[in-house]
Parts: sequence; C-alpha cells; structure tokens
Amino acid sequence: MTVTEPRPTNDAPRPRFVRADGPDKVTGTGRYTADLTLTGVLAAKFRYADHTHARITRLDVSAARSMPGVLAVLTADDVPDVRYGPFVQDRTLFARDVVRFEGEIVAAVAATTAEIAQRAVDAIVVEYEPLPVVTDLEAALAADSPLVHEGWESYGSADPIVRDRNDASFSSITKGDPDAAMAAADLVVTSRYVADASHAAPIEPRAVLAQWEGDKVTIWTSTQVPYDARAGVCETLELPANRVRIIVPHLGGGFGGKCGFHYEAHVAALARAARRPVRLVFSRREEFLAPDRRREGMVIDITTGLRRDGTIVARTGWIAIDNGAYTADSGFFPQLAAMHVAGPYRIPNVRVEAHLVYTNHQPSGSVRAPTAPQACWALESHTDELARAVGMDPVAIRKLNAVDTGAEGPSGQTYDEIGLQQCIDAATAAAGYGGELPDDEAIGVAIGWWPSFSAPSGAYVRIDGDGSGQIITGAQECGTGAVMTLRQLAADELGMQPEDFQLIYQDTSVAPYDMGATGSQTLFNNGRAVVAAAGQVAEQLKQLAAEQLEASPADIVLADGQAHVAGTPSRSVPITELAGIAAGGELLIGHGSGQPPGAPPLVGSSCVGDVGMAAFIAPQFSCHAVRVKLDRDTGVARVLEVSTAHDSGTILNPVGAHGQVEGGVLMGIGQALTEGTRYDDDGRQRNAAMLEYKLQTCADAPTIRTTFIEIPTPDAGPRGAKGLAEAPNVATAAAISNAIAAIVGRPVRQLPMTAERVWETIADAAEAAAQDGVAS
Amino acid sequence: MSQSLDRDLVLTVNGIAYPVSVDHGRNLLSVLRTEVGLTGTKEGCDDCECGACMVLLDGQPVNSCSYLAAQAVGREITTVEGMVRDGELHPIQRNLLEEGGVQCGFCTPGMIMSATALLARTPDPTDEDIRIGLSGNLCRCTGYAKIIAAVRRTAADLRGE
Repeated sequence: MTVTEPRPTNDAPRPRFVRADGPDKVTGTGRYTADLTLTGVLAAKFRYADHTHARITRLDVSAARSMPGVLAVLTADDVPDVRYGPFVQDRTLFARDVVRFEGEIVAAVAATTAEIAQRAVDAIVVEYEPLPVVTDLEAALAADSPLVHEGWESYGSADPIVRDRNDASFSSITKGDPDAAMAAADLVVTSRYVADASHAAPIEPRAVLAQWEGDKVTIWTSTQVPYDARAGVCETLELPANRVRIIVPHLGGGFGGKCGFHYEAHVAALARAARRPVRLVFSRREEFLAPDRRREGMVIDITTGLRRDGTIVARTGWIAIDNGAYTADSGFFPQLAAMHVAGPYRIPNVRVEAHLVYTNHQPSGSVRAPTAPQACWALESHTDELARAVGMDPVAIRKLNAVDTGAEGPSGQTYDEIGLQQCIDAATAAAGYGGELPDDEAIGVAIGWWPSFSAPSGAYVRIDGDGSGQIITGAQECGTGAVMTLRQLAADELGMQPEDFQLIYQDTSVAPYDMGATGSQTLFNNGRAVVAAAGQVAEQLKQLAAEQLEASPADIVLADGQAHVAGTPSRSVPITELAGIAAGGELLIGHGSGQPPGAPPLVGSSCVGDVGMAAFIAPQFSCHAVRVKLDRDTGVARVLEVSTAHDSGTILNPVGAHGQVEGGVLMGIGQALTEGTRYDDDGRQRNAAMLEYKLQTCADAPTIRTTFIEIPTPDAGPRGAKGLAEAPNVATAAAISNAIAAIVGRPVRQLPMTAERVWETIADAAEAAAQDGVAS
Repeated sequence: MSQSLDRDLVLTVNGIAYPVSVDHGRNLLSVLRTEVGLTGTKEGCDDCECGACMVLLDGQPVNSCSYLAAQAVGREITTVEGMVRDGELHPIQRNLLEEGGVQCGFCTPGMIMSATALLARTPDPTDEDIRIGLSGNLCRCTGYAKIIAAVRRTAADLRGE
C-alpha cells in the first residue's frame, strides 16, 4: 500500500483538538476504577511472600478464615492448578510450594473492611525454608548457579522461545562475518554499560472490582489491555471468554505498567468465594513491589570495529536482561534489545546475543518502549566513544553511519521511505548544535528507533436515526488521546464532524478485539479498523443518497454533513435525513478490521529465538539533542533544553503528538538522572516510594522543542501514521549521557546517572588525567 | 472489636455542609471520597508525595491524604467538583483542555487545585513561579509543558487580558 493522500505540513493550520473525555477529567466527574463501588462490596488484601526465594513448609489460613468479617481466604489450593504466561508458562496465581520474589502472592483475603482484611492477612501463618537468592545476572547464567525455577524444563513455552536453566529466553541476530570484519577493522572499541531497573509509575495505583451474576463475572479494572486481562481470567479460572466481561473506567496512566494480566483473576476468585462484590485498591508501595511490570535492568557489552574515516564495519554485543522471577511479556525483550544494541545503523557484519535471565527480583514487563531507553543509552553513549576514538564529531559519525531510505539495517531489512537523516538535521539545528556554550554546558545527541506494531483490531461504526454517530471500539485509552483521535478518522470518512460521534470503548463484551493501549498501536491498528467500519457506512449513505438524488453511488461525495453529487454541490441531501430514512429500513451499521500490514523481509541475516522483532514494520525514528548544565562539584546534572525530531509518519493529532513527545522526554530525563530501583542483597526493593524513587517534577521540566518529519510511509497505519507513544522515550537518556560525557570527558557507565555516579566519574577522570600527567 | 471512636463532624465542601460520622483518625481524603461521596479528589500515594489529593482549605492547598478530617471542621473545603460555577468551566479547566494539558487526567484535579491557589496568591506568575507552584503535583503523562501553558493563559484570563 502506498499512501497517496496529501499530507499536512507542520505549518498547515489544523483544528484545535479537545479530547472527548476531557470535560470528565477536569471536572472530577470522570470515574476511575478506585472511584467505583457496589452495594455489599468487600475489600481485598494480599499476603505477600516473606522471602525473595524460599520453599513454603507450612501455610495455615485457619485463624484468618475464622475472623469475624472475613468472607473469603484463598490460596493456591482454592483455584485451578494452571501455570500461565504468554511466552513461558512459569507462574501461578498464588505461590505453589516456592516463593520467588518479595511481591509474590501467597494468599488473598476478602473482608468487610480493609482493616479487617489486613488483620486477617497478618494472621495467616507461613513458614519457609530459605533458598539461595539469585540477583546477579552474569552469575545466574553460570552452569553452577542455583536455579530460580528448578522445574523449568517442565514448563510450556511459545514456539520460538529458546530456554536453558536461568536463561528464560535467548535471542541472537547474526549478519555477515563479524569476527573477520572486526579483525580487519582499523580500530575496535569495546564498552560495558549497566542499567538499573526502573518503574512505569503511573499516578493512579491499580484497582480491580469484580462482581458475579450467576455464572458470569464483570470486572472493572485499571488495565491497559482489557482483552489480555480477559484472556488471563479465562485461562486461570478456566472460564469461556463470553462469561468474563472486562470494563475499564477512565485509566489513570499506564506506560506499560498496566499491560498484561494482573489481579483480575484473584479478585474474581475472591468475589466468587465470598459471594459478594470484591474490590482491590493498591497502595503506592504495592504498586512498586508487586506487579510483573518493572522496567528491566540490563548489562550491555558492545564492541564496534571501524575504519579510520568513521565507517562502522562490524558490531558484536552481549546483553543480559533481568527477567525477575517470572516471565511476563518479557519473552520478546532479548530480540528487541539486540535490535537496539545493533542500532539504526548500516552495519554489514553483526552478531548480538541477548539473554533474559531469571532472578529473585520483581518480574520485568513492557514499560514504555521496553529495553529501548537502556539499550539506546548504552549504544549511543558507545557511539560517542567511537567518535572520540576516531576524532570525529558525534553528529557527523551518526550521519555517516545511520540508516536512510533504501539502506540496509543491521538485521538485513532494507528501508522504504524513512526520515532518520532528516531527524538528525532538524533536532541538531533546533538545538543550535555546534554553537558556543559555557564550559559547564554541552549538547548531547542521540538517535533512536522503534517499530510500529501490526495487530488485528476491530471497531463498529453506526449512525442512528437522528444522524448522531457512535464508534464502538475495542481500543483502550490510557491518556495518550489515541482513542480520542478515532472520532476524527470516522468523521473524515463520513463527511461529518468529530463532535457528531460518541466513543464507546473499554468494554470487552461490547466491542470487537483490540490489543489495547500497548505497543503504540491504537491509531496504527484501530484507526485502520475505524476507517474500514466508517467506510461501510459511507457506502450505505452513498447508496441512499444516490436513490434520493437520482445519481450513481460512485458519484456521491460526503462532506460537511451532506451527501452531494460530485461537481454539483447543490444537488445534495443532509446526512441526518439519510439517517432518518435508514432508521426505517436497513440500519447504518459498519464493522471494520482490515488486514494488518505484514512484516518486511530480512535478507542475509539469521536469528535464533526469533519472535519477529528483527523486522521493523513502519519503523519510527528519532533524534534528541539535549543541552545539559553540570555542577562539577556535586555531580548534579540539569537538563536545560531538549530538541527532538521524530519520524512517526503522518501526525493526525498534533496536540496529542506533542504531548506524547513531551511526556516521553520527561520520563527519559527521569530514567537518565533519578529513576533507578535499588535492591538489597536479598533482592528486595529499597526505594519503593515516590520520595526515594524520584519522578521529575514541574520544577525539573526543561523547554522541549519538537519537529515532526512527516514523509510518505509505505505499509503504515491510516493516512501514513506510524506509532508514536513509545518512541519519544527512547533517545533522551542517551542524549543526556552524551552531554555529560562531553563535559566530563568520559561517559557515566551506570543508569541512572545519579549525582553520585556522575561525581565518581568526574573524580575518576581527574585521577586518570593526573596519572597521565605523571606518566608524561 | 474495640468500641467505636466515630465522631460526628460537619464538613463544608464546595459551600455545602455535610454531616458525617467518622473515626477521629480518618484522613480528609478518604472522608471526601467515601462519606461525602466526591471522588474527583484522587489518591496516588497516601504519603504527600504526588499531590493527586490536593484540595483547598480556606484557599490554601493541602494534601488531603495527610490531613485529618476533624481538622477541616469549620473551614471551607474546595475540591475539583467546586470549580464549575453556574455550569461554566473555570478558566483553568477550560485552558487545560484547550492547551492539551490533560492526558490520563488522574493528576488533573490536584493540579487544578494547586494552580488555583497559586494564581490566588500570584496573579501574574512567571514561568518559574508556575513551575515551583506546581512542583508538589506529579504528572507522568504530559511533561508539564502544556500544563504550564494552561496556567499561564489562565493567569491572563483572570487578569482580564
């Protein structure tokens, strides 16, 4: 498919977009899950593991069960014995025999008040035999390491997943002959970078409310992926899909943290056992400790061979990714991380290997652009090391090696129209790169990429007898505005206004499937579905109008609320009038899905553990240029300005798109400087609170300038749109790293680059300089 | 079970008096959300860290998660539900929408209350004033730029410019 519609430029006037759910949100009338209640509702509380790795030798809930006000206490014995997981079926709803991280659920209680539920949780007796704790990624891969899952070989797993002991998923990308090319290179540079784990940290802690009516359960939940949540409930409680209804009220942010299947089944099981509605509301501490959605820590080794002119001839990489205790949706992380360590560069010889390593940490899962900010930070910091090694400008070495239209990338994909080179030019120009700066300031530059995710998706569009429209979609709104933008697409297809449509969404029993607010895929896939559904209604309207206007349906144009004959606007009939006619006959109902774009071919490469992540569909590109001021005495880095350029295809909702970039950049600044989870020797989080795990505040926020490079994109979403929500989170930390390294003279090799770590790097650089002075 | 420690209180919220009977240890946030029944004020951390629970007490911004309901007796409590007057959005509400300062919306009620307090004491704020004034309210979605723009525009609107 080639997109042929004219594309607006950045300067073209566009209507101001006000989101349809906005009035609910600014007046406080919008309901989030924790705002809901039902008559007779009980409060749920979990008993978490007392150890990070231990065998349960005794579990006695009798005292808790007999407490007044307690209506249900559940353990593994009270639910079907089902191991689940999208890639590796390695976990159960409740711990069976062994606990493997501090947030593992041993038992659940439903009681008349939260206080009673907590007292009952505390009254549950659990005795343990401690097991060796696994926290070090490299040690965990050694042949003599204790196993996190002794029974790993008995687990089921998805076909492409390659596993071995504590390695839950291995993947590699190989192209050309990297060993020979490395040996022949003029220069070889090797780097190691280590990224700490971090958190999505949406401001809304998750909540679940479940109610059974007969053999059907309705679950209101703060999930980004209602159909995944439904699938999880069906799998673990052994229910057919049509008896589980997931409804998502307004969702208070997710950033991947609310992807996957979490506690919907626990709460549904409690509600069934108690014969009452049950509600779970997480505390902030639980939000940090329990979900299988931590951003993964990583160890990254990169070696690059270059010619003296800066041309990259070979790259090898080795990556260890902290999977934590269970495999959530992390099975695809190794291949995606390998792509980000290979990077958006023209490299003829590549070998990158990546391991997903079990530890006794909280499980990792998709957080906004999973693996990318850390891997990009490592790769792009390394790229500046390459520039220093060959004496080139960091931007020049990127321009020389970065992929472009028609070029072949590291996995053997040849790109159609892409705008990475334009992104580099636009971001560096906006930043004033190359200009004079005080000696405590520098501009760091980094490039990033991210795929668009192609997936099945569905929607219905209908127009009722009064001419008002409804879009009934499986898509999930997590705040990005992507679902809100669907009104514009339907309106354009039907010659109506966005305000003519109400959105019905986030209800699995009402709308057809969509993957959810994940993978930046909502507009890419559900936009296609809405356009297809609206297109069916448009055909119906044209047929009706043709009969009214005595013309051919092919000659009917829908515009400005009218159906008119092409070239003769005066021969027209209002769409509301056609809707009235249809209400007495064949109703105006469209359904749409459309064929998802297929994966582009890879030539000359081979992948082990191939989960489809080496071929980027409608790839997005970005360049971030960040001006940083560094206090050398304290190591405190302050981000002054961020200039970004993004190729995310056509921008359908500019206000929303700028908001995505600005939010992604600020999250990236947090990852760069302050957001890192600290663990004790037993694998427990030491900073599971917002004062100790510091998000960026309004006072920290820099000026952010954004340019969108809108170029024709083959095989993209509606009107040439690609994804967007994750891409802005990729390159910011890397650009900050390069600014700090430019000031200090060497990179900080651990993420986040806290003041202490920056200060240590400054001290190390000074010591090295002093030794050089002595040596000379 | 221990004997009831409930106290009869009257809370004045958005100009309406609400008699409630609550344990003396209950925080204002939970009483607003449960007994008073106004859920616009959100709980993000229960520890004064995120600002989602911000309300005004006699015009002063307070994290209601860490403030006893009993301490609010006799004072005028304003929540986000009290910002709409005569069916019209307050300019800060309208401008947050038009500038794109709302995404998931969970921080929005607290942000509105902090901005209202800021503009009451600083009618012509600099951008730095706005950044400091909203620094007790975490937003994970927007990167704050469009929220700052909305507050700047609201200041001008309220000054009649």
